[in-house]
Amino acid sequence: MQAKGLQGETEVMFVGIDIGSRAAKGVALSGDILLCSTVLDSGVHPGKTGQLVLEDLLTQSGKKKSDIKFIVGTGYGRVSLPFVDSTLTELSCHAAGAHFLNEDIRTVIDIGGQDSKVIRLDEDGNMLDFIMNDKCAAGTGRFMEVAAKALEIALGDLSSTAGKSVCPCEVTSMCAVFAESEVISLLASGQKPSDIAAGLHRSFARRVGAMAKRIGINGEVAFVGGVAKNEDLGRLICEYLEVNFVRLSIDPQIVGALGAAVVAQRSV
Amino acid sequence: MEFEVTESIQDVHTNLALQLEMAKDGGKKVVGCLCSYSPTELILAANAIPVGLCGSTQEPIAKAEEILSADQCPKVKATFGRAIGGTCPLFPLADCIISETTCDGRKKMYELLERYVPMQVMDLPQKPEEPAAFDHWLSEVEKAKCFLEKQLDVIITDEDLARGIRMMNEQRKLMTRIHYSRKQSPSPISGLDFANITSKLNYYVDHEDYLNLLSAFAQELEERNAKNIHASGVEGPRILWTGLGNSLGCNKVLRLVEESGGIVVCSEGCGGVTRTEDLADETLPPLEAIAQRYLRVTCACMTPNTQRFEDLERLCADFDIDGVIDLAWQFCQPFEIESYRVRELVRDKLGLPFLHVTTDYSAQDEGQLKVRIEGFMEQIEASKQRTRKTVENESRRISA
Repeated sequence: MQAKGLQGETEVMFVGIDIGSRAAKGVALSGDILLCSTVLDSGVHPGKTGQLVLEDLLTQSGKKKSDIKFIVGTGYGRVSLPFVDSTLTELSCHAAGAHFLNEDIRTVIDIGGQDSKVIRLDEDGNMLDFIMNDKCAAGTGRFMEVAAKALEIALGDLSSTAGKSVCPCEVTSMCAVFAESEVISLLASGQKPSDIAAGLHRSFARRVGAMAKRIGINGEVAFVGGVAKNEDLGRLICEYLEVNFVRLSIDPQIVGALGAAVVAQRSV
Repeated sequence: MEFEVTESIQDVHTNLALQLEMAKDGGKKVVGCLCSYSPTELILAANAIPVGLCGSTQEPIAKAEEILSADQCPKVKATFGRAIGGTCPLFPLADCIISETTCDGRKKMYELLERYVPMQVMDLPQKPEEPAAFDHWLSEVEKAKCFLEKQLDVIITDEDLARGIRMMNEQRKLMTRIHYSRKQSPSPISGLDFANITSKLNYYVDHEDYLNLLSAFAQELEERNAKNIHASGVEGPRILWTGLGNSLGCNKVLRLVEESGGIVVCSEGCGGVTRTEDLADETLPPLEAIAQRYLRVTCACMTPNTQRFEDLERLCADFDIDGVIDLAWQFCQPFEIESYRVRELVRDKLGLPFLHVTTDYSAQDEGQLKVRIEGFMEQIEASKQRTRKTVENESRRISA
């Protein structure tokens, strides 16, 4: 990306920090240039993790703390960050981040560690409407973690494993607790891990897709958040909604942090 | 914020059980109500004291779950748990209860509650606009009157009923004034203070004293408006509350809304203005007037519940609303499903930000609720900016 800003603008930077339930993300932005980004485990002390994210961004960019003009915190841990200049929910940040990447995006599907959201935005990247999952782990990254563990495969391998499936199983439970026992009994009955993984993805996609339809899908659609790394799941959600997701130039997990940095830049 | 009436209200509230006991010693009777459909006029006509027995806190739920399954709405469980667990000081004082077949959870719970206290379950027609519905409901109101006469050993004459109607109408007129004081922007009272005070204001021993208290509160709010005393310096988004949960004890969401910068200035549904502004017709035969009045009450247990949508549209305009929050208790099928139509009305027809919240009485989901509510406030802010931009563009276009 090219800076279209004023001369010397790359000297200053704006930071967005997104402390989610499972991962902490940071993005440093200067004009139109994404200087650097980082993803760490959230850990048990969101405040300390936030500090680590900030330090990592400074190391990567080779800049000093005084070069940072504004920091916006977002995510569940946003209230635990004493050093931020302002906070905003991850809903608005995902809208802002997606808009920064592609101005045609009007719908964002975000699936993170503990919730899933569908956000509708206007032509300026403002949030128009949103819907979130029920307050349990069904339809979240946490559910994926539990499923992967029960299948004894790495979370990052779920997508490729499911891709090998010939005949996906019918998985009925979306509850993170009951899905685990369902996976175990499917394994015990001789089903292949690939077919189970594909079945889990299918019921997951139906759930998220149905939620998205409840508020309506509009314009270009982006799939973001940690779970968006799972390509097989993304393909199934697209099939359910009869859309194609826009290609993102960055890691989908850092879109919320990017949005926070965009808002930081807009705040001065 | 402190209100002058708070002390007198608190006084009634704290000593309510004791005062009711004393009134009972003096020969008064006490009748329990569980819903906005309970025709209070009948109770007043019987010279008895009506008391609301709905549970609105988390504590009694564990007791209820010894009998009811966990997947019932918190209102049903808390009401039942309080009654049978001995934690409701008012329940033992009720000589009998008037209730109605509203939602399935309630009416099946009443079958069990009936074992503890004499109870009349009125059969509420759920398509109130059907011509036959009124005749049936009128006969149910008459049956409830006979039930009270028998239970309380009184005779209720038409004059008694007319007096009951006048008393309730006076009460409703004052409550409506109280609600409408919030029409002023900025509002003289926060939504949380309002819910706290009005929930307590539902209880009384002497109706005449009660009317005086309501009148004092209405006057205090109107004076604040006249003197420009507001709940907050700069008013945040003005929120209309619809659905359930607008009461003391379950004010978790209300608190989160106002901590996030919004202010609830109008409420529709139970505990809201639509329950108070509709009077019983004093020119009709009294029993008919009572039956008509209660069949007009809106609730998602009714179908198609058209009036709720007309009310919402009118109130959004009257109270200069920036956003609507619709709350349903977990496992409440009627309000959960009806929410889809509320969203259609608010978002698509009125063009206002809309948030549906599903919750219960526990504090466990406060973190998740906070994100939704803060996000909603950001959405309202964006929506206001968009409106300002459109207006500016329009005026630029006109002047060019």
